[in-house]
Parts: sequence; C-alpha cells; structure tokens
Amino acid sequence: MKRICLVCQNVDCKNRGSEEIMKELQQNATDKGLDDWEVKPYMCFGACQEGPNVVLYPEKSWYAGVKKDDIADIANHMAGGPDVKRLDTIDASLKELIYQLLDTGVF
Amino acid sequence: MEGILFPRGVVEGREGLDAYRARGGYQALDKALKQLAPREVLQEIDASGLRGRGGAGFPTGKKWAFTADTPETPRYVILNGGEDEPGSKKDRLLMENVPHLVLEGVILAAYAVGASKAYLYINAEYKDAIQAMEQALAEAQKLGYVGERIQGKDFSLEIVFAPAPHDYVAGEDTAVIEVIEGKKPLPRQKPPFPATAGLYAKPTAVNNVETLANVAPIILRGAQWYRGIGTAESPGTMVFSLNEEVKRPGAYELPFGTPLRHLIEDCGGGTRDGKKIKAVLPGGPSSAFLSGEQLDVALDHNSVRAAGSSIGCGVIGIVTEGSCIVEEALKIAEFFAKESCGQCPACRMETNTLAMLLKKIQQGQGSAAMLEQFGKVIAFNKGKGFCSLINMPGPPIESAVKLFRADFEAHLAGKCPGN
Repeated sequence: MKRICLVCQNVDCKNRGSEEIMKELQQNATDKGLDDWEVKPYMCFGACQEGPNVVLYPEKSWYAGVKKDDIADIANHMAGGPDVKRLDTIDASLKELIYQLLDTGVF
Repeated sequence: MEGILFPRGVVEGREGLDAYRARGGYQALDKALKQLAPREVLQEIDASGLRGRGGAGFPTGKKWAFTADTPETPRYVILNGGEDEPGSKKDRLLMENVPHLVLEGVILAAYAVGASKAYLYINAEYKDAIQAMEQALAEAQKLGYVGERIQGKDFSLEIVFAPAPHDYVAGEDTAVIEVIEGKKPLPRQKPPFPATAGLYAKPTAVNNVETLANVAPIILRGAQWYRGIGTAESPGTMVFSLNEEVKRPGAYELPFGTPLRHLIEDCGGGTRDGKKIKAVLPGGPSSAFLSGEQLDVALDHNSVRAAGSSIGCGVIGIVTEGSCIVEEALKIAEFFAKESCGQCPACRMETNTLAMLLKKIQQGQGSAAMLEQFGKVIAFNKGKGFCSLINMPGPPIESAVKLFRADFEAHLAGKCPGN
C-alpha cells in the first residue's frame, strides 16, 4: 500500500505557502526515490491557525507550521529517518478525530 | 381561512394603501402614539408571545427589551429581508404583497425600542419587493407616519434602504450589520449581541420581515387575541413555503399547530408526481429529516422539536419515494460547504469534511466506518464558529444516516436506491 503525505491546500495554509511546500515535498520524494510515497493535497485538517499542516499516513505524524527549512527533515522522515518532534504541536483530540477520518480512507 | 398577515392567508396581489387602511392599517400606530408609551408597546409584544420567524424562534419582546434597556443612543431597527434560504419566499412575498403591514411593523418596532433610524435591508435581487416597499414608504411619509415628530409626537424616525447581497450568511444578523457598515457579509463573534451593541456598536434590533409583519396586528387587537391563534408556546400564524415538489407551490399562512399533512395535501395539493412521501425537511436544509410516517406532526416549535426536527423559517422540503437520501444529504452538505464564509477554521473543516465523506459514499467509494464519522466531526466542531452555520449541517446529515441507513448501505455496496 502506498504511503501518503497529505498537505493542506485550504485558504490559511495556502496563504502561508503550502502550495510551494507540497511541490518541494514532491520533488524531495522523487529525488530520494521514495516510490512508495504519494504527496497529495488535503482540503482541511481544522488547524488553520497553526498551518501549513502536513500529515503522514499511515505513520500518523502531524507536522504543523511547516516552513521551507523543515522540508528536508520531513522528507528524511519519509525515507525512514527520525520524527520531526519540533513540528509535532497539535492537540491530541484533534489528531484523534483526523486520524480516525483518515482510517476510513477518505482522501 | 382568514390570515393575520395576508388577508385570506394566501397571496392575492399587492395590497395598496386604501385596502390596507380598510382592514385597520395604521390604526395600531395611531393607537400606540395616542395611548401607549413605548414600553407598553414592548410589553404587549412580549405578552403576545411573538417569536422570531427568521429561523431561531427567539421571543421578540425579549430581544427588544435588550435594545430598549441599553441607554446608549442612537438606537437602530433593521428589517432583515436578506432572505436567502433555499426555497424560502415568504419575506419576499410579504414585502411585495403587504408592504404597508411590514412598514407599520418597522415603525412600531422603532417606537418600542426608541430607535431614530431604521434600515430596510432587502435582498438586492428582490426588485419588486424593493419597489413595493419604496412606494409604501413614500405614502407613509406623505401621511406623516415617517419623518420628524410623527403625528406631532416626540418621536422621529428616518427610514432608509440597504441592499443585501445574494449570499446565505448575509442574512445572519451580525453579517447584516457588517454589510450596512459597508463591509463584507462576515458574521461577528458574539457577544456582544446586536441588541445591545450592533450597528456602529449601538443598540440594534434586527428582526425578520415576517416577525415585524406581525407587530401591527398584535398592537391593534391585543396580545390576548393573538394568543387565541396557534399554540401556547407558538402563538399566531406562520407563512410556510412549499416548492416544486407539490402540485400548488406557494406561501401559505397557517396557525401554528396545523398538521404538516394539511399543508402538503390540502394547501399544496399533494406531491407533484403523486408519489408517496419518503421524507420531509420541515424547516429547510438545516432541519433534521422527518420520515414519511410523521406527516401528522403539528407545525409548531415544540411539536416539531419533539418529532426530532425544527421548524426554522418554514420552508418545507419534500423527498418522494424513489429518491435517494444520500443524494439529498450530499446536496445539503455541499450547500453548507459553499456557503460557509470561511473565516472560522472549525466551520471550514467541518463543512468540507462532511461534504467529502458524503461524496465518497455517494460515489460508491465509502466504507461502513465513514458512517460513524459524521457524528464525531459534528460533535467536535459544535459551537466553534462565530455564527450558527457550523451547527446547521448536523441535523439533516445525522438524521439522514439514522432514518435512512439502508440508502447509505446501498451506496456502500455500489448501488443508488434512487431511480
């Protein structure tokens, strides 16, 4: 099964540069030969003030406030490297809601 | 049947000034100015039990008291004719057909709360309604019912028009105020409520068109008379909107407590295609579905709530046998996703997520686990928006899954039960 890197493309995240972040994550995945990963847009994780938001699934790693400087570390995680703990700031109850949704296959 | 608003309870064409005066028009205002202090007008409305007709059903007397009791001036009254509920036509038809009745209500409201300026906020696409209200206003001015020192009393009122954008949230009371202040129709965080700090942060009574249309008859004939119509907790009548699903679409004014079946079958002539009714949305797209077995429910706030739904602004949506509830629920979810103004993150997430889940299910890409997610998403976001739009998709979607699970299961198996 493909692993998925979901990058929010709703208003707030987009205003903070999530389009560019999605492109660069895509490029990093290609460069690193991460064929089992698919980088995809998502419509909203409900954490708009903390965006741009990136969620790795089925890892269930949620990275908030992602900047260009963070992309290498996230791509490194996708390639089997460590979690990017400094970007893991989202409230547990929201995480649970979104992960349950993703578990239903709604992406 | 005799109506309180429409003389015979149905639309019969524009009622001019003479016809309006022949049925007691402007006598309520004469009575108020000669015999009643503003507070007494307010108390009469409070005693009548009049409830807002824009959807929430809040007691009008209580709302006015918040405005009247706030010492700041100037105070304002806003006639909210920003009607944009899908299928609703009552406010347009009231303004087009009984414009003086609506206008007299505006003037009495201003007198009761001590307002010196009133805004007629009307959906800009309602050209005939605006024209009717303009003519009524000109005639009322000529009679000395609007302007400086009305009928020689210490009460002056200026009335102006404000165009409402064709936009669902533009009817929300704080969004109405934003528009009149020259801004985009975005709801404000509450409190403060408009009644105490509304237009230009001054006390403002924002009332639906139908609500204000009830005011003059109540003042003329008294709260006791009014309470003799309808039910104890929902006094008076309501103008219900029927649409193309029935043989005779239109607006029907009926006493609260009238059975839903009477409205659909006797007034509307039954379903257009003669098919059996599968489900009804008794209060527009933000109300919960009732099943076709519940047509004998009485149309009043308490009875419809006891049946599991709400009466909203009286738009009756009908789904007949052979139609699929998943398709209906998807349409509703997409409507709210589109109409969410987007300023509250929780509302954006909720409305988009619900629409996405329903789209997957409708397309046959759903899973049984998805059906369990609606309630969780709705509960998580409940009340987390500035306005009530965030709470609107919940009732229709949750009731759709609960009452019509077979339709959802058919879609999960890749088949639409509709034909």
